[in-house]
Amino acid sequence: MDNHPKVEEISEEFVNYLLTGRKKESSAIIFQFLNQNNSFLELYEKLIKKSLYKIGELWEYNKITVAAEHLASAIIETILNELYPKIAKTEKQNKKILLACVENEFHQIGIKIISDIFELNGWNSFFLGANTPTNELIRFAKSINPDIIGLSMSIYFHLPVLENMLLKIKDEFPEIPIIIGGQAFRYGGLEILAKFNNVFYFADSYEIYNSIKNLNL
Amino acid sequence: MDKEYLIKSAEKLNQVSEKTANEYQNKRDILISKINEIMLSRPDLESLIGIENINMMKDNHANHVRFISSIIKNFEPEILVETVLWVFRAYRSHGFSTNYWASQLNSWIEILKTHLSDNAYNEILPFYEWMQVNIPLFAKLSDDELDKNLSQHKT
Repeated sequence: MDNHPKVEEISEEFVNYLLTGRKKESSAIIFQFLNQNNSFLELYEKLIKKSLYKIGELWEYNKITVAAEHLASAIIETILNELYPKIAKTEKQNKKILLACVENEFHQIGIKIISDIFELNGWNSFFLGANTPTNELIRFAKSINPDIIGLSMSIYFHLPVLENMLLKIKDEFPEIPIIIGGQAFRYGGLEILAKFNNVFYFADSYEIYNSIKNLNL
Repeated sequence: MDKEYLIKSAEKLNQVSEKTANEYQNKRDILISKINEIMLSRPDLESLIGIENINMMKDNHANHVRFISSIIKNFEPEILVETVLWVFRAYRSHGFSTNYWASQLNSWIEILKTHLSDNAYNEILPFYEWMQVNIPLFAKLSDDELDKNLSQHKT
């Protein structure tokens, strides 16, 4: 019999700790979850992503302040950094991915997780973070010659910015595959991506993980 | 009438031309500046948006222009409906009244008439009229969601 608490219960406790700034307890929950034979993918999808969505919903319904939301995000980012040594010990391939949020987009936890999933698969991830100016991304890409570029967009109304970014990136690097993800595409927007060659959308961590082998170049 | 009704009615809106979408996007700064100016000058502002919500209102105006820029360039009725519903839920739960949308949309229409070319105005106006006509339904559907959420937290 499995005596472990259900993921919903763990998530609820995790959210409570995050929103009250209890970093140590939040971190302990994550490590305990992994020690119960849950994979990193399960951690990302079942615990972190669901907790973040819950926190977004709590803000939407005016149950928490923006400050509490930011506090929770900051703690999650700290925990992801604590986990990095467990991820980075994987034997490396000679593959590089460059990851960033589109310009004006500040929600960077999702793309940070994608960065870590590539690391788990032995890739070298170069994670530029939130609100990355297109020209800077292109300049950096020229310096490292990535095999893939990954972009994240959480808010739908950044779609024109993403389209503009794709035009500029494709102009400089027509052959490099670009992967796209983010909550912004929940209800649509994919037809923009279809205009470009070698641009692929992934709905979640599982899809990315299962496709990485096919992305081997 | 429900969300499906809103999506069906939104499907009747026409995709605007690329020229109009670009004009709207290129004039975004002046549009945002004007809506803020008009709304901030209202003596009844607090009754429309609640207490200490001026920054949130300004965010909404900037986001509104970004969103409309996206939606008129790549029109998808479901995204239009889902996003407006989200805005109603989030802002109403933070103290914005239904009358805020009525006042805001009236002001947007005046601003668009003044600052857009006739052709661009005529192409975009149906989107604003659609939002205006459907304020009561958006308010009702967002209230239903808010009530549901409240009862979930009580149990």
